Amino acid sequence: MERTIDFLKYKYIAFVFSFILLCVFIIGTVARGGMVYGIDFAGGTKIIAAFKDPSVNEGAIREALSAYSPTVQQIGEAEKNEYIITFKLITSGEDDTVSGAELEKQSRIKADLNSKFPGMVIESEENVGPAIGAFLKKSAIKLFLIALILMTLYLTFRFEFKYSMGTMGALVHDVTLCLAFCGFAGVEISIPVVAALLTIFGYSVNDTIVIFDRIRENTQVKSREIFSEVVNKSLTQSLSRTLLTSLTTLFAVMSLYLLGGDVLNDFALVLLFGIFIGTYSTVYLASPILIGWEKLKSR
Amino acid sequence: MSKGMIYKFIFILFLISLSVILILPTVGSKQMEVTFLEKAQVSDIEYVESRFAASGYDVVKEGNIVTIKGSNLTDAIMNEINILPGVENVGMLPHWVEETFLAKKISLGLDLQGGMHLVLQANFEGIQEKLGRELTEKDRNEITQQALELLRNRIDKFGVSEPSIRPRGNEAIEIQLPGVKDPEGVKNAIGTTGSLEYRIVDDKYTQLATQLFNEKYSKTDVPADEALQLQFARSLGKEIGLPDNMEILFFYNRDNETGNIFADYPMALEREISLEGTDIQEAVVDRDEYGQIIVMFRTTAEGAAKFARATSEPNHGKRLAIVLDKKVRNAPSIRETIASGSGNISGGFTYDEAITLARVIKEGALPVDLRIIEERTVGPSLGQDSIESGVKAGLIGLIGVMCFMLLYYKAAGIIANLGLALNIVFMLALLSLLGFTLTLPGIAGFILTVGMAVDANVIIFERIKEELKKGKSIRMAIISGYDRAFWTVFDANLTTLIAAFILSQFGTGPIKGFAVTLFIGILTSMFTALYVTRFIYEIISLNKKIKKLYI
Repeated sequence: MERTIDFLKYKYIAFVFSFILLCVFIIGTVARGGMVYGIDFAGGTKIIAAFKDPSVNEGAIREALSAYSPTVQQIGEAEKNEYIITFKLITSGEDDTVSGAELEKQSRIKADLNSKFPGMVIESEENVGPAIGAFLKKSAIKLFLIALILMTLYLTFRFEFKYSMGTMGALVHDVTLCLAFCGFAGVEISIPVVAALLTIFGYSVNDTIVIFDRIRENTQVKSREIFSEVVNKSLTQSLSRTLLTSLTTLFAVMSLYLLGGDVLNDFALVLLFGIFIGTYSTVYLASPILIGWEKLKSR
Repeated sequence: MSKGMIYKFIFILFLISLSVILILPTVGSKQMEVTFLEKAQVSDIEYVESRFAASGYDVVKEGNIVTIKGSNLTDAIMNEINILPGVENVGMLPHWVEETFLAKKISLGLDLQGGMHLVLQANFEGIQEKLGRELTEKDRNEITQQALELLRNRIDKFGVSEPSIRPRGNEAIEIQLPGVKDPEGVKNAIGTTGSLEYRIVDDKYTQLATQLFNEKYSKTDVPADEALQLQFARSLGKEIGLPDNMEILFFYNRDNETGNIFADYPMALEREISLEGTDIQEAVVDRDEYGQIIVMFRTTAEGAAKFARATSEPNHGKRLAIVLDKKVRNAPSIRETIASGSGNISGGFTYDEAITLARVIKEGALPVDLRIIEERTVGPSLGQDSIESGVKAGLIGLIGVMCFMLLYYKAAGIIANLGLALNIVFMLALLSLLGFTLTLPGIAGFILTVGMAVDANVIIFERIKEELKKGKSIRMAIISGYDRAFWTVFDANLTTLIAAFILSQFGTGPIKGFAVTLFIGILTSMFTALYVTRFIYEIISLNKKIKKLYI
């Protein structure tokens, strides 16, 4: 019989590690000035434009549009001289209202850009009004909650309630850390990023379930062993699968990140981090939570 | 091999060949037919020919029809050609698979082929002021539906084929226009409110015009452009000797599948307007004493007198056309004089037809103006770049995963890779069958699925390895490996399916594309792992000579 690795030994180290990581991310986020919302949520205008005149650069565009204080970022191959120009609506007050002056600005920015750089080709343009963001935020949160409830129900039905506690614990850990990572790394919260978060949601559960499935199987076979030993054994047995699947998924996401183009960059980055964190929590966090819940109940 | 296995084998082969056939219209070459006007300049035709010949398409010219063959033809290109001078009509020829199997093909989203995406909302505040009361959620919903009807009525003004107009949630409308070059024109067409009028129909001339139309033309000959259509109608009128006080307009019917409307047959109307749209105050769907579905309406105080005149004795038996933006949407017969200011229209409607009619009538009473709350325009070159980088990322990812599986699992890796390849084929086939629209996030979902699809195989292989270590025979190890892994694979994938399903409910189109590819990818990967690769292993284990399983 193969040696069983004592994963549970590291549970306190893992708890502390996750906690510190979260703190670092939160401090980093605050230092950056909070979470950054993309125009999908904040409302605003995003223009991708190519400039024929090679003397045009980020600085020149920023200066020409200084009234709008946009963010300007070069993308693609250098000779194409292509930029993403983003102008976000600034909300004021408690209820996120946008002043008329801001909306006026949004309607003018493209015309202004056109008049200042006549040799410019607009490749894509997005205008999002302020009304959409609030609606999206609400529906994103609602969907996360629905997904959480549905999965808990399914797991309780297929396994036992304690297993769904372990899975959900790891899941909340993964999504929270990914969200904090977005703030820390300055990734804008856009619709694709929300999609990445929800994918991590599914991935994290998928990863954990396979191990819990093994634990359940092993507890049914040999009831004499103590629970934590069964858990360690199951983790060891499933380890190669956990690593292999993470690796193949990592290959796919990595190539998406490196080659998938600028539009999918943020999406792939969040997913990349999510796979690492998901694999880690599957091995070191989900099972301790399961055992902790079991102990709490038997007391 | 036992009989059961032979059947299984045939079934799998059948599925694979069916899938390959279903993918053909998507990946194979497409054909586009460009019909030129009789009076088109030679240079017009040459321009189109060289536009395609230069970028590697096959171009065949036959009379005034040019057929273009290539794999990159999209609706956006079609719309680009449609507005060129001398071009009468452009259409995609259906692939033979589409015709025989009624299959669809995967079309490209606007972010990949270029085009314009708009989200509109009715100006609720304005309506609130007019009505002088707070709008309930039901009101908002109804106003949005009415606006939707108005937009369908002027879909042709966008000068675009394959447009999509649909409600988003209860309070907004989403419009997708592939290949639009003139966003300002579209915005202007959307910005105006509808004009609704009621006019008496002349049955004699309507019959003459319809007869002539049916003999000489077909429904597709009616130009979509408003000015051209009026010209076409005038020439019809001239041929049948239509008196000056009358005018030909087209009666529009509704395509039940898409909800879009199309010109059905010509109708001769009196030029005099019997009633203005604003003369009617309200219209609702109801049932009469016999349980038939009817549209009830009430006129304004001024409208009542006009209506009484329009429905007076000499007009009994004639029809009263309801004309929205120069399109006849309905023409009920006048049975009796209505002087009270309220009446009803019956005519064996379905509920949907009745509610559409009520909305058209209401558009006259309470015009809805729309504003754009979200707008995304993508140029065709950016879309092409996105496709290229997406396909590149997908291929590299696929090769990476496949190499890894080969290195790690050796011979078993070949089976897993075969499964992966089959999985992609099944996935594309299912997406084609659904007429899926591929967006950039959809490509991302596809790539992610490539990474995750081997998971089921990994779980199973690891299990077989364990069984082998326990000292089981190859045959037993395979059988119990698959049996034990079944529920693990099932549970693990089901939770991802739940996540993908919920994601598909998340508002916007592109993300839906991502969720759908993920969802389908998981389904097909479960099928290939639990059914197809298992079958391959069963065949291998039949061979008693195999002493060692390379896994």
